[in-house]
Amino acid sequence: MKKLTALILLITTPYVVIADQSADHAMHQADVFVDGSAVDIDPDQIKQFTADLQGGQVAVVSVMGMVCDFCARGIEKTFKRDKSVTKVDVDLSKGKVLIAFDTEEPIDRAEIDRKILANGQNVTAVQMLNI
Amino acid sequence: MAFSDRAKHSLYYHYSPTYKYSVGVEAVKNRHNGDEHSYLRLTYLLDRKNTQGSQRNLYLQSGVDPVDLDHYFYGVHGDWETRRLFSGFGYRHVVDDEVDFEEQFVQFGVAPYLGDYGDLHTWIMIKSKKNTLFGSWSTYPVLRLFKGNGFAEFGYSDQSQWDIHLMYRF
Repeated sequence: MKKLTALILLITTPYVVIADQSADHAMHQADVFVDGSAVDIDPDQIKQFTADLQGGQVAVVSVMGMVCDFCARGIEKTFKRDKSVTKVDVDLSKGKVLIAFDTEEPIDRAEIDRKILANGQNVTAVQMLNI
Repeated sequence: MAFSDRAKHSLYYHYSPTYKYSVGVEAVKNRHNGDEHSYLRLTYLLDRKNTQGSQRNLYLQSGVDPVDLDHYFYGVHGDWETRRLFSGFGYRHVVDDEVDFEEQFVQFGVAPYLGDYGDLHTWIMIKSKKNTLFGSWSTYPVLRLFKGNGFAEFGYSDQSQWDIHLMYRF
């Protein structure tokens, strides 16, 4: 009986809570992306971040739930796997992620959202800056 | 992840395909009876609530020794944290062929300063823990430090002895 209980626990744990995944997905769909002026950016931080960039674009992403340095590491790692990303920085105090892209092509906001969500946080706004 | 306290020494490698769950292997030496087991572990994020200034998590955890299926555990743990405050709890029921036991803890902490990304982050905490193998609750101070991908937590009390938790994120 104990063996059976152990196997059931190990195998079924993800399915017991499958409803939660649906709820989370629904919340994700309801995210609102805001352009431009609604996003609070520290000019000094932007200046420092872009000082060594040669063109391209910078995404300033407002993130909910990014309260810890250790947790934000995953965001940096995820974006650095993208070959068009040259630099990533995090501002924990304002809940912002700065991402430098070396391309002039339009950046896919949905992809930014997906990568943040893959790390377990939510995007509330994205502002694109041309360098 | 390495963990050591009065009840056990543990070394745990895990991989998270998504933020929703992780799978891994945990080698445990039970310091009460000297037994050693390797558990296949599954941790599932049951619920997460992100706000602008906080995050709350609730996890289910389970593990089973594939060599001896009579050894397994299950439980829950959770936390709520801001950049300044932390609270967490955990409960685990361990089934053993000699004697089943339970581990419980609650933990509260405050960050004395708010570091920037990449700085050394420090938390001063208090933790209360009970293992039914040893009886009553034990409460003791804990120091948590992390920087970059490294994390270390140290607690000590006369009753529970050292409570050490080390982690590195690859």
